Amino acid sequence: MILLFSLVVTIMNPAFFTLQNFFDLLHNSSGDAILAIGFFVALLSGGIDISFPAVAIIGQYIAVNALISMHVSNLVLALAISCGVGIAFGAVNAFFVSVFRINTLIVTLGTSSLFHGAMLELVGTKAVNAGQLPKCFTDFGYAKVLHLQTASGTPYGLPLFAIVLAVVVLATWLILRHTLLGRIIFAMGGNFEAVRRSGVNIRRVHFFIYCYVGFLAGIMGIMSVSLIRYSNPTYIVDTELLPVIAAVVLGGASIMGGSGTLTGTLLGATLIAMLQQNLVLMGLSSYWQEFFVGLMIVIGVTVTHVQRKFRTGNRLTFVRD
Amino acid sequence: MSDIFLEVKNIYKAYEGVQALRDVTLRVGRGEIHCIAGENGSGKSTLIKVIGGVVTPDRGEITIDGQSYSHLHAIDSISHGIQIIYQDLSLFPNLTVAENIAFNQLVEKKVKAISWEKMRSIAGQALSEIGETVDLDEPVGNLSVAKRQIVAIARALTQGARLIIMDEPTSAITRDEVEHLFSVILGLKARGISIVFVSHKLSEVFEVAEWVTVLRDGKLVGVYPAAELDDEELTFLMTGKRFDIAPYSFDRARIGEMPLLEVRNLSKKGQFRDISFKVWKGEILGIAGLIGSGRSEIALSLFGLNVPDSGEILLNGNPVVVRSPEEAEHLGIAYLPEDRLSQGLFVNQSIGDNIVITVIRKMLTRIGIIRQSTRKETESHWIDELEIKAPSARVAALGLSGGNQQRVVLAKWLATKPKLFILDGPTVGIDIGSKSNIHEIIRDLAVNGMAIIMISDEIPEILQNCNRVLVIRNGCIEQEIEDISATSEDSLFEIMAAKSTEGEELC
Repeated sequence: MILLFSLVVTIMNPAFFTLQNFFDLLHNSSGDAILAIGFFVALLSGGIDISFPAVAIIGQYIAVNALISMHVSNLVLALAISCGVGIAFGAVNAFFVSVFRINTLIVTLGTSSLFHGAMLELVGTKAVNAGQLPKCFTDFGYAKVLHLQTASGTPYGLPLFAIVLAVVVLATWLILRHTLLGRIIFAMGGNFEAVRRSGVNIRRVHFFIYCYVGFLAGIMGIMSVSLIRYSNPTYIVDTELLPVIAAVVLGGASIMGGSGTLTGTLLGATLIAMLQQNLVLMGLSSYWQEFFVGLMIVIGVTVTHVQRKFRTGNRLTFVRD
Repeated sequence: MSDIFLEVKNIYKAYEGVQALRDVTLRVGRGEIHCIAGENGSGKSTLIKVIGGVVTPDRGEITIDGQSYSHLHAIDSISHGIQIIYQDLSLFPNLTVAENIAFNQLVEKKVKAISWEKMRSIAGQALSEIGETVDLDEPVGNLSVAKRQIVAIARALTQGARLIIMDEPTSAITRDEVEHLFSVILGLKARGISIVFVSHKLSEVFEVAEWVTVLRDGKLVGVYPAAELDDEELTFLMTGKRFDIAPYSFDRARIGEMPLLEVRNLSKKGQFRDISFKVWKGEILGIAGLIGSGRSEIALSLFGLNVPDSGEILLNGNPVVVRSPEEAEHLGIAYLPEDRLSQGLFVNQSIGDNIVITVIRKMLTRIGIIRQSTRKETESHWIDELEIKAPSARVAALGLSGGNQQRVVLAKWLATKPKLFILDGPTVGIDIGSKSNIHEIIRDLAVNGMAIIMISDEIPEILQNCNRVLVIRNGCIEQEIEDISATSEDSLFEIMAAKSTEGEELC
């Protein structure tokens, strides 16, 4: 189904497929793709973690301000702070999910408000503009691997962001496919009770999952500020939640957990990115974007569900999984 | 009994004032096939959990393979090779067969990285130990219940099982598959593995069990060699009562009257073809067929949930079209579904709410508020009438026993005063005492003029309660049996299963 969609988008924009545009797309959307991967992993285990936008911006804002106040320009330090915040956030989420057994959607809804509000109050609301931003971010944003030139002489290249994304994809793939932990994550989405009965340390798995989401969100936070060279503590939270969810469900992951592929998630992320880019190019207002993203979520969930029903044989109206 | 592998002695266990087990002793020998028989509430499940170390008894001693425990942990039980296969099988439908089989062993060994080859080899080996082949890469969710059971057994074997406990292994599989399961069980026995299975399906108990431990109300009634028991005796031991199993009779003279329901040449592509039959008021027509024969699909087409492609349905001589359950209900047709938990009840709602849901619209005042007095009257009427045992009408349906839950579903439909009542597997998973009681209720309904269609794959149930039987096989009526009393269990089974091969085309 997702291939069909890709075809549609391709037809929409034949001039689009140049390497330069592709690299550009990667540059702009790698961050969201990384968020999508995090959401995907949590979704597989049957949990819906919607705190990732808040984590990303909190990690970013704290890292940026910390670096500024320390008069330091060090990307690795920035990442360490941002991801550290992310992991801590994830740990809090995991705590409530595993110890109190509260539904993840509710927990993450609560914690994201809680922490975002706390940050705005305690750290501040002042945006950091390009002039004040330590150089390491700007460098990261421009960094390219592989330098090329267009016919007219404009330089372009494979953005470093893409490499970061590739590393995240590879690591996630290894975990999901080649470790017992990964299979347990799938298992939890398939039959949570059975996992409990098999003696698995569920608490540890929960902690891993939600800290991983936080960690990835931390990475994205740094990528985001490096991309737009502006750190506004109210960004990301309002804008990235739905497109990321749309990407993941469009990619075929089941909203109930237990099934989905990394490839699908990446394709979904690509499609959403292309969709958003096209809408901007067409000059449509951001309200149209909201409409289309919502449409994608509905289509994604519906098609995935209908496909499942078809595959398990048309068992009349009573669907028993 | 030879060499004893497991002995649980003088076990007492109480839960919040209810004595689940009272001085129960069980002994299982090596390579022995032992059945724990008893009604729901007899303590069977608690006993299994005690053996598995999942529940700790208040008093009593457990000895496994010569080693005594006053406090048994699940880990100890597993390390001695005791494996429990729960009724829901505890499998992961979204993971492959290989993963499911290897899962527990991998968790036990605390592996970090996994090799898919290793998983396949573990799974392949376990399957070959029971001489079975299942596609290792198939997601378990796509398998039939019988094949899933094989997967569950294979998984049990990966941790060096010496005693496998199966909780109601035959409740969701067809007769053929039951035979197959038994051959697997015999194979395990030949390798010295003991099997303890919990069942209340009498005929099956006798086919494979060597010893039977009977429990009633938490007490041990006795331990008997299976060869010395028969259906009647075992029922008596389990329930303390003897049941009249005379078949239902129907006054043939009434054939002259117009049938309440007539079905002509009903067909639906891929499900059933050319189905024609009649049902008179006061009859209990049995529809017998194995799972997949099309029997439920036919029933659902009479209820508006599976509109047929062609054919006619006539009620009292008038042709009708049934396109939805609402239309069916208006026509006086009721349907008791196969799965009471997911299709028949709102499990988290109260008994009372479940009962009145079908007739709630008739209890509204002009402005749409429910008349409480009418509602309460209806609720208590049916609770009394059907003898639903519960502390009050406000208790959630989930907490009731299977038999009582089914009675709630019956009440719900009887409240609509149907003329035709279709029952799909009315006593599946219900113990003997309740079964018999529900059969009585059904027979009373028929005697009082309701037309009943009873769909079942439990042959004794069909033979005891129906005056006429249609045998459905591969989507067509294989045979119509008028003379029930002359039909034996074996001959009925043969007709149901005649030359049945998987993937066979519709008749």
